[in-house]
Amino acid sequence: MISNEAKKEIDIWVSKYPKGRESSAVMQALTIVQKENSGILNSDLIYAVADYLKMPAISVQEVATFYENYNHKPVGKHVVRFCHNISCMLNGSDDLISYLENKLEVKTGEVTKDGLVSVRKVECLGACVGGPMCQIGDQYYENLTTDKLDKILEELK
Amino acid sequence: MNEVCFKNLGKENPASFTTYEANGGYQVWRKILKGELTPDEIIVELKTSGLRGRGGAGFPTGLKWSFMPRNQEVQKYVVCNSDEGEPGTCHDRDILRYNPHSVIEGMAIAGFVMNATVGYNYIRGEFMEPYYRFEEALKDAYKAGLLGKTLQGSPISFDLYTHLGAGAYICGEETALLESLEGKKGQPRFKPPFPANVGLFGKPTTINNTETFASVPEILSRGGQWFADLGVENSGGTKCFSVTGSVKHPANFEVPMGTPFSKLLELAGGLKEGRTLKAVIPGGSSTPVLTAETAMNMTMDYDSIANAGSMLGAGSVIVMDDTTCMVKTLARLAHFYYDESCGQCTPCREGTGWLYRMLQRILDGNGKKEDLDLLLSVSEKIEGNTICALGDAAAAPVVSFINNFRDEFEYYIKNGKSIIEGEHNLIEEATSV
Amino acid sequence: MSEIEIEIDGNLVKAKQGDSIIKIADREGIEVPRFCYHKKLSVAANCRMCLVDVEGAPKAQPACSTPVANGMKVHTKNDKAKFAQKAVMEFLLINHPLDCPICDQGGECELQDVAMEYGSDVSKFNEGKRIVPDKGIGALIQTDMTRCIHCTRCVRFGAEVAGIVEMGGTGRGEGVKIEPFLTEGIQSELSGNMIDVCPVGALTSKPFRYEARTWQMNAVPSVARHDLVGSNIITQSYRGKVKRVVARDNDSINETWISDRDRFSYEGLSHESRALKPKVKIDGEWQEVEWQEALDFTIDGIKNNAKNPEQLGVLASKYSSLEEYFLMQKLARSFGSDNIDFRIDQSDLSDGGSLESSITLSEIESIDHALIVGSYTRLEQPMINHRIRKAVLNGASVNTINSKQFDFNFNTELDLLSAPQKILSTLHAILKSLHLKIGTDVPKYLSKVIPDDVHNKIADDLIASKNGVIVLGEHLNSNPSSSAITNLIFQIAQITDLKIANLMLSGNSHAAERVGFMPTKNGMNAISMFNENTRVFMLMDVDCDYDFINLQSAADCFNNEDVFVVSMSSFENESLHTNANVILPMASYYEASGTHINFDGLVQSFSASVKSPGDSKPGWKIIKVLADLLELEGFDYINSTQVKDEALQSSKLKSSFDDVNAEIDDSQITTHWQYAPYATDSVSRRAKALQESNIGMINSAFVSKSTAKRLDINGDDLYLGVPVSITDAVAEDYVFVHTNQARRVEGG
Ligand SMILES: Cc1cc2nc3c(=O)[nH]c(=O)nc-3n(C[C@H](O)[C@H](O)[C@H](O)COP(=O)(O)O)c2cc1C
Ligand code: SF4
Ligand code: FES
Repeated sequence: MISNEAKKEIDIWVSKYPKGRESSAVMQALTIVQKENSGILNSDLIYAVADYLKMPAISVQEVATFYENYNHKPVGKHVVRFCHNISCMLNGSDDLISYLENKLEVKTGEVTKDGLVSVRKVECLGACVGGPMCQIGDQYYENLTTDKLDKILEELK
Repeated sequence: MNEVCFKNLGKENPASFTTYEANGGYQVWRKILKGELTPDEIIVELKTSGLRGRGGAGFPTGLKWSFMPRNQEVQKYVVCNSDEGEPGTCHDRDILRYNPHSVIEGMAIAGFVMNATVGYNYIRGEFMEPYYRFEEALKDAYKAGLLGKTLQGSPISFDLYTHLGAGAYICGEETALLESLEGKKGQPRFKPPFPANVGLFGKPTTINNTETFASVPEILSRGGQWFADLGVENSGGTKCFSVTGSVKHPANFEVPMGTPFSKLLELAGGLKEGRTLKAVIPGGSSTPVLTAETAMNMTMDYDSIANAGSMLGAGSVIVMDDTTCMVKTLARLAHFYYDESCGQCTPCREGTGWLYRMLQRILDGNGKKEDLDLLLSVSEKIEGNTICALGDAAAAPVVSFINNFRDEFEYYIKNGKSIIEGEHNLIEEATSV
Repeated sequence: MSEIEIEIDGNLVKAKQGDSIIKIADREGIEVPRFCYHKKLSVAANCRMCLVDVEGAPKAQPACSTPVANGMKVHTKNDKAKFAQKAVMEFLLINHPLDCPICDQGGECELQDVAMEYGSDVSKFNEGKRIVPDKGIGALIQTDMTRCIHCTRCVRFGAEVAGIVEMGGTGRGEGVKIEPFLTEGIQSELSGNMIDVCPVGALTSKPFRYEARTWQMNAVPSVARHDLVGSNIITQSYRGKVKRVVARDNDSINETWISDRDRFSYEGLSHESRALKPKVKIDGEWQEVEWQEALDFTIDGIKNNAKNPEQLGVLASKYSSLEEYFLMQKLARSFGSDNIDFRIDQSDLSDGGSLESSITLSEIESIDHALIVGSYTRLEQPMINHRIRKAVLNGASVNTINSKQFDFNFNTELDLLSAPQKILSTLHAILKSLHLKIGTDVPKYLSKVIPDDVHNKIADDLIASKNGVIVLGEHLNSNPSSSAITNLIFQIAQITDLKIANLMLSGNSHAAERVGFMPTKNGMNAISMFNENTRVFMLMDVDCDYDFINLQSAADCFNNEDVFVVSMSSFENESLHTNANVILPMASYYEASGTHINFDGLVQSFSASVKSPGDSKPGWKIIKVLADLLELEGFDYINSTQVKDEALQSSKLKSSFDDVNAEIDDSQITTHWQYAPYATDSVSRRAKALQESNIGMINSAFVSKSTAKRLDINGDDLYLGVPVSITDAVAEDYVFVHTNQARRVEGG
C-alpha cells in the first residue's frame, strides 16, 4: 500500500519527534501517500498510514478530513488552487477564476475531461502582496493576469 | 526602513548563511555559546526593547519568556509559528524566504533562555518554497556547528526541526498549532493550563511568531534601547506590514512603529489611478475595518490603531477604494471564517455558518430588513463565548463593516444589488465574464 | 490541596484549589447548564453552555474548565451569564431538528430540558438546517447524527472509558461529523453507555426504538445479574414488559456505567421460547396442564423414582437468586439429599469450594500490578476489567497467563501463552522462582522444575508489587486441574503477600456459595451426580444444550427410562423436551424479587420490575409449594424477604485445600470451550440485539498452525461445528473455542 520510498520519507519525519510520538508525522505521511496515489486519499491508505504510525484509523481519518490539502475525491494531475480571499479579490481574482473555468470548461471542484487540471477556490495562501495568485504543486504564481494564466496552462502537461 | 527582519533584503543571496554571518548574524548566539550572556540579561534586554509578539496579540515577548519554568527538570520546547494564514498577511513568508537564519538564531536564543533543547518551526503546508529555504538554512546552521548537541564545547544544546501544516488557518492559533504538531486535528485547547505549563507533548512550551523570533538577534546585538527608540511609546522597534488591496504596488514594508498610515500608503505607490480611499483594515481580516478618514489620521502602532477603533494585529493593511463593494467583501470574509472554524465550540461552529449564510442571502438579493440587526446580534453572541479568538475574529469584521458602512448594506438589501456599479455575486457561483 | 473559599451566587462555599466551578456548583446544588461536561470524562469545554460570570473576567467563563481561586466571585444567573447561556442555546438549536415528537430521547433530553429554561421562544434562524448522513454503528445503538450537538461525550467515553478509539469527529467547522471510521460497528463490551452519555437523541438504544415514550414507562431500581459486580440498574417497563435498562449511579459498584450484557439482555425475556404453561410428558408426549396437575405429577415422579432420598440430585445455573438457591438446597436437604450443585460448567470440583477473593472492587482501581490467569476479563467481567484498566492508566502493570492472546483495552507487559494442560507446570515454575528469589524452602515436588526467563520476570513483578492482585478467571473452570491451580495461586499470593481476585464463577455464584448450594462431604457434586444412583433430577434454570461441562454424561443420565427430570425453567427448547419429564415455568430476571451477592460480598436485593408472563411463577414460590407437597417442614414463608433473612443467617462454606499435585498428560491436544459473553445465560442467549452485535457473534475455534496440522484441519474447516481460525496468538497443542454456539462434545 505504501511504497518503500514513501516509508523512508515518512521515517525522516518520524525521526523529528520524540519516541512514542510517531503520530506527529501523520500529516506528512498523508501528504506523502496522497502524492503517490494520484493526489487522493482513500480508506485503504488511511488504514495503511494508521497501521504504519500505530494510530487508530479514526484518528488518521480525523486529520485527513480536517486539513484542506487532503483530497477525497478525484483531482486533476495538476490542481490549480486559486486564492479568492480579500486581497486577491480586491485585485480581480474572481474574474480570473471565471476566466479559468471558461477556458478549461470546468467549474471549481471539477477535473478537466483529459484529467489534467482541476481548479479549486481556496482561502488566503499567504502571498497577498502578489495577488491575484494561485498555487500549482509546490509553486506559487503571483500577480496573475489572463495572459500569464494562459502561459501557465500551456506549460502544464 | 527594513532594518531588522528585512535587513538583508536587496543583498546578494539574502537567505544564505554567508550573507547572514557577514552582516552580523549569529554573533549573539556565539556569544551565548561562549558563556558571555545570561538568560536574565537577555530577558532584561527584551523587556527594554518593548518587543511585542508579532503574531497578532502583541504580548510582550520578554515577559512571555520569563514565564517559562526554566529550572524545571523536564523537556521544554520552543515553537515558531510560521502558519501565516490571516488574510492580508504575508511578511512571515518573506522572512523565511529572505532571512531564515534570523528565525533560527532567534529560536536558538529562546531555547537557551528557557532551557529548552528542542524547537519546531511550524510552517504552513503551502509554503513549500519558504520551507525549502528554511531547511537549507537549517542544514547550514548544523554544518556550522550552531545547532545540535553540546554546541562549540558548551553545555548548550539546541535541535531545531520544521513541521509542515496541511491547510488550516486555525493552526495559527497557538494551541491548535500544538495539537497539529502532535498529529491531531488543529483544535484549540482551552486555557488554563497555558502552554508555558502544559504545551507540546504535555511539556512547557513557548510559542512565538516568525517575525518575533527574527527580531530577537538584532535586538540583542544592537541593544534593547536601540530597538525601543526606533518605535514609539508602547510599540518598540519596527514592524513588517503587508500592504495589499487597491494600491499601486502591494508589498511588504518594514517600517518603524508609529509611521503614519498615509506614509505607508505612499510607500505602496498610493491608490490605483483615479480611485479614492474608502476603507482600511489595518491588521488583517480579523481586525475591525476603519473608514478612510479615521485611517488617514492614525499612525501604525498599537495605541494609535487601538484609538482608531481597530488593532495592529498581524500588520496586514488591506486598502479598499471607492469601487469596493463592502457587502461582497464582508461576505467573502464571513465565508473565510465559516470555512476555517475548527468546529469544536458551539458559538463559532454554528455562528460562523449563520453569519455567512445570511450575508450570502443578502448578496443573492434575498436580504431582509431585519438581517442587519440580526447579523449584529449573532456577532455579539459569538464574541467572547468561544474557546479561541477565531470566534471574535469572525465577529469583528461583521460589526465594523455594518457599523461603518450601514448605508451600503441597506441599499443592497433594499435593491437586491450593490451600490457599486457592476458588482455581482461571485462567491459560490462563478458567473461568466 | 488547600481549602479556599469562593462565592457562588452570593453563597460563601469552601472549595479545593484547582477544582472546577461546575464541580463546586454541583456539590452545592447550584444548577449550571451543561452538555459536554460529564463528571466521569475529561473536560472538553466545547459546548460553552456552562458559561458563567466570574467577577473581574472580561468574558463569561466556562464553569467546567475554570479552576476556582480563593475569593473568586461567580454568578451563574446574572445578566451576563444568562446572556451567554441563551446565546449558546440559540446556536445549538439552529441546526437541531425539531423532531422531539418522534425522538426516543424525548422526555429525557438534556437539550430539551435546558431549552425550556434557557431557549428563546422564537428562533430567528431563517437558513436551511443541517442534515447529517448516518453511518450506523452496529446492532445496539441507533444513530441519528442530525441531532448531534458535537459535545464529544461519546468520543471521550470511547477513548477514556471503553478504551476504544473508534468514534471521532471528522471534517471541520459546521461540517464536523461525529462518526466511526468504518461501519463495522462499535466493538466494545461497554458501548451502550454511549447512549447514556449522549445528552440528546443522536445515540439511542436500538432495541428500544419507538417502543415507548419515556414518561409512559414504569421505572424500577434493580440489580444486574450477569456478572460478579451486580451493577445497579433501572428497568423501565411499559404494559408489563421491560423495554429498556439503564444504569443507576453507584460509585463503589458500577460508577455510572453498565455492561452491554446488563443493558440489553432484557430482550431475551420476550423471546418466543418462553415457558408459559406447566407441561408434563406422558408416554413421550408433552401436554400443557394446569399448575396443580403439574405439581402432582412432579411429586409423584419424585416419590416414585427416588427410592431413597439420596437418589435426588439438584442442579442450578449460576444465575439464580439467593432465595432460590437457599430454598432449593433446603428442599433437597430436608428431603434427605446432599446432592446439590451449581458448578455445572466446572471440570474439577475436588477443592470443595472456591478460593476467596481478598480485594474489593474499588481497591482494584489502585493496584500497582495484576497477574491475570485464565481470563479475558474484558468480556467476562467488564466492570472489573474497567477497574483494572483504570489502575493501568494510573501506572499499574499487567502480566497475563492465558491460552490465547486477548485484545485487552489496556497495555499488558507480558503475555505468557500456555495451553490449559500446561498452566499447572507454568505456575510450578513461577512458584519455584519465587521461592528461590525470596529465599524460602523449595518444596520437594518442585525440585525438578526449572523456571525460565519469563517465569522469573513474572516472579520479579510479583515480588516488586506492593499492592498487586492475582486474578483467576473463568477459563480455569474447564481446566481439569483447576483445583490444583487455585491452590498454587493461593500459595503464590501468600508468599508474595498479594491479593486475590477470583473471577472464576460469575453471576450470582457468591449467593450460591453463601447458602451452601454445594454438596458437603457425603453428597455428590455436579460431576459425580451423573451415575445410576441418581434417579430424580431437579434442574433450576439449566439449559441442557449449553450449561453442562460434561454434556454427554448428563444427557445419558437424563434420558434413562427410570430417571425423572423436573425442570424449573423460563424457557423451553428441544433438549429440554428430550431430557425433562416436567417443565415448571419460572419467572426470569426482573420478574421476581430476589437477592444478588456481589464480588465484595455486598447483599443487594431487588423487587420484581414486571409480572412474569403466562402462568410462570417466581422460583422461590414454586420451590415452596413443592416442599409443602412433599410434606417437608419449615417452608411457611409468606414473602421472599423471609426467605432472604433466613438464607443470610446460614453460614458460608469454608474453602479447604488439599495439597494437590495433579499430574497430567500435557502432550495431549486439549480443547477449551469458552462461551462468548452473550451466550453465558439463558436470557442473554435469547436477546436479539446482543446476539447481532459484534461481540454477540463471536464464534471461532482458534488453533495454531502446527496444532492445526496435527489435527489435520485447515482454515475452511469447522471444528466441533465452529469455524476454524488459524493464528499465532494461541498456545500450542490446544484449541480455543470461543463461541456463542451450544457446546458440542468432542467427536460428537
Ligand atoms: C485564529 C487565530 C489565528 C492565528 N494565526 C496566527 C498566525 O498565522 N501566525 C501567528 O504568528 N500567530 C497567529 N495567531 C496568534 C497566536 O495564537 C499566538 O498568539 C502567537 O503565535 C504568539 O506569538 P507572538 O507572541 O510572538 O505573537 C493566531 C491566533 C488566532 C486566534
Ligand atoms: S472559536 Fe472556532 S476555531 Fe476556535 S475553538 Fe471554537 S470552533 Fe474552534
Ligand atoms: S459543559 Fe462547560 S463548555 Fe460544555
